[in-house]
Amino acid sequence: MQTRLFLAATGILILAAAAPVVAHHAFASEFDGSKPVTLKGTVTKMEWINPHAWLHMEVKGPDGKVVAWSIEGGAPNALLRRGWNKNSIPPGTQLTVLGFRAKDGSNRANGREATLANGQKLFLGSSGTGAPTDGRDPSEKK
Amino acid sequence: MRIRGLLSLAIATILISACVRVAGQDQPTETNGAEPATKWTAPRTPDGQPDIQGIWTNYTNTPFEVFDEKDNPALYSGDPDGAGRGTGPGFINDSFERKLTKGRSLVVDPPNGRVPIMPWAEEKRNYRLGHIQDDWVNFTPWERCITRGVPGGIFPTGYGSGYQILQGPGYVSIVYEMIHEARIIPLDGRPHVGSGIRLWNGDSRGRWEGNTLVVDITNYNDKGNLATNAASQRVRSIPQSEDLHVVERFTRVDEKTINYEVVVEDPKVYTAPWKVAMSLNREPQYELFEYACHEGNHAVPNTLSAGRAKDRAPARAGTQ
Repeated sequence: MQTRLFLAATGILILAAAAPVVAHHAFASEFDGSKPVTLKGTVTKMEWINPHAWLHMEVKGPDGKVVAWSIEGGAPNALLRRGWNKNSIPPGTQLTVLGFRAKDGSNRANGREATLANGQKLFLGSSGTGAPTDGRDPSEKK
Repeated sequence: MRIRGLLSLAIATILISACVRVAGQDQPTETNGAEPATKWTAPRTPDGQPDIQGIWTNYTNTPFEVFDEKDNPALYSGDPDGAGRGTGPGFINDSFERKLTKGRSLVVDPPNGRVPIMPWAEEKRNYRLGHIQDDWVNFTPWERCITRGVPGGIFPTGYGSGYQILQGPGYVSIVYEMIHEARIIPLDGRPHVGSGIRLWNGDSRGRWEGNTLVVDITNYNDKGNLATNAASQRVRSIPQSEDLHVVERFTRVDEKTINYEVVVEDPKVYTAPWKVAMSLNREPQYELFEYACHEGNHAVPNTLSAGRAKDRAPARAGTQ
């Protein structure tokens, strides 16, 4: 329910603001900008690979069932310039990820940002937002 | 192996020559081909070439083309705000405070800032981009991790727009951060390879005209795309023919700036030659990072699987 409310509140804004001018591939052919998703769970693996890094995590649903998700990030060289490194989020890290769901319905998403338990935010380099200043977060410096 | 050897030679040359470096922090600004206020004498390499070596970037807020209301940016550039806004330093957050001005367009000729693309080529692009979920052949060579093309490899993107130029006796080499490509350009006046040899990035031959490095490129194949990145707007995914002929000009106009110009001719694709002009900004502290594009390129299968999901759920079609 929480996710649905979130969809309703932010879907239009994200559609209006999305500007994937920097991605290696076409965001819209793979991910759905109208389906933002918030995933709270535990990191299982960080694949520091080109052309896009992939973050893998386990997310516990409302029914208590744990589901594996894969989150696409930016290129490692881009993430490095944004303050990440290969060991920023080791397995076991608790994380909340905001992203956009894959169009094929699988448990994959394109990540926009990750928030650590201490509140620190890491930009995931989503190809679908033109982030970091895509307009979604009103507190962001334009 | 031969290319690797030449590259090693070039790298060794730059180390041995101990060229003068400016240790301070650059704050690149764009000149878009403007003449410098004062005459500047370019330093020379040990073998007498004008020295254009170093690390250069071309992040920009200038759009590639002048926007037209008939354009369909959501299709070919994924830029719903319409007008094109250049790449900006999208993913950059290092110690530099880039002050990027926004010019009219990187395309300076024709004067209207619009690439004169033939209708058939635009239709081909529209089909490819509109059917990218159907077949891997509709992806650009960049998405397939083959190449960003020449000159497309130097058209700026939001990240990875770094270039390292190295010079050895008789050669200039350019290392592109995106997508980890290197060009070796001979300067010895040798002719182009035979017409039977067709290459993704063409065959480059360089010469110095005063302080300007002129690179003539022919022998392209007809499989590639001159431009592959969404920031190239309407030119992204436009096909190229074997008649494509490109001439690049690199002129270092001051310590921090190379004026880069490229003229593109392809009589089967464009109704007239067209020209891009932009600056490459010297940025000694910028590091070129690895971008081994094919390492884990899941985008191709994931895009195709999105298409198959759409096929299975026709009621949800039209979301591409």
